[in-house]
Amino acid sequence: MNKEEIIEALKIIVEPYSEEASALVHINENTDFITDLKINSANLVDIVLDIEEKFNIEIDNDSMAKMLTVKATTEIIAQKLEAHAG
Amino acid sequence: MLGNDIVDLDLAKIQSNWRRKNYLDKIFTIEEQLLITSAKKTDEMVWLLWSMKESAYKIYNRKTGIRNFAPKSLNCTIYPNADQIKGAVNIDNHTYFTKSNIQLHYIHTIAAPVYSKLEEIKVAIYELPDHPSDYKRTKPGCVSHHGQYLALVY
Repeated sequence: MNKEEIIEALKIIVEPYSEEASALVHINENTDFITDLKINSANLVDIVLDIEEKFNIEIDNDSMAKMLTVKATTEIIAQKLEAHAG
Repeated sequence: MLGNDIVDLDLAKIQSNWRRKNYLDKIFTIEEQLLITSAKKTDEMVWLLWSMKESAYKIYNRKTGIRNFAPKSLNCTIYPNADQIKGAVNIDNHTYFTKSNIQLHYIHTIAAPVYSKLEEIKVAIYELPDHPSDYKRTKPGCVSHHGQYLALVY
């Protein structure tokens, strides 16, 4: 999976937790889950769990700590997928 | 520096399913999970601990400049046998003291780095549609929004 594909998959995952339709349409690497998409912090946990299920990876606490933006989250997913494949 | 966090319990009920597999484990320490499973009102305990963590994080974030999502690194302790719900939240080498107010429709927690300051904090809670539009002019020390509620501390 390349970066664009991961961002596309991520967009589908975060959609139900955000009411910021225009920010969702323009989702990109610099999108911040809390400040841009106005996602409730308790729902960030749901996003992490959804990512684990969708990509079949495990997100440790240190990785989760960084997952506030699309960029950081995409990097972590790519990293975990690679480790998985290796 | 002050922190505060309000949880609209009616919204939390539909917005977050904390019974989902692995959910609690991502947020709460083993000790906190024990508090939840042994609580009479489990929903209330989940959101009480969550509001303690959030209110403490709001001070920690401003004090250290660190912005992250590490709810498990915020360790809550609830002081027993107090008629008010007081506690402490530890993160790294910082300790923040908390006082919580549990109502039927919301839980509100205030946090301060010094225990004695808790009694000096002034709290204002507004319910929709009565949110003052110009509240920023009153220069609150911390602002929390959730569902129907706006909570300000001074």
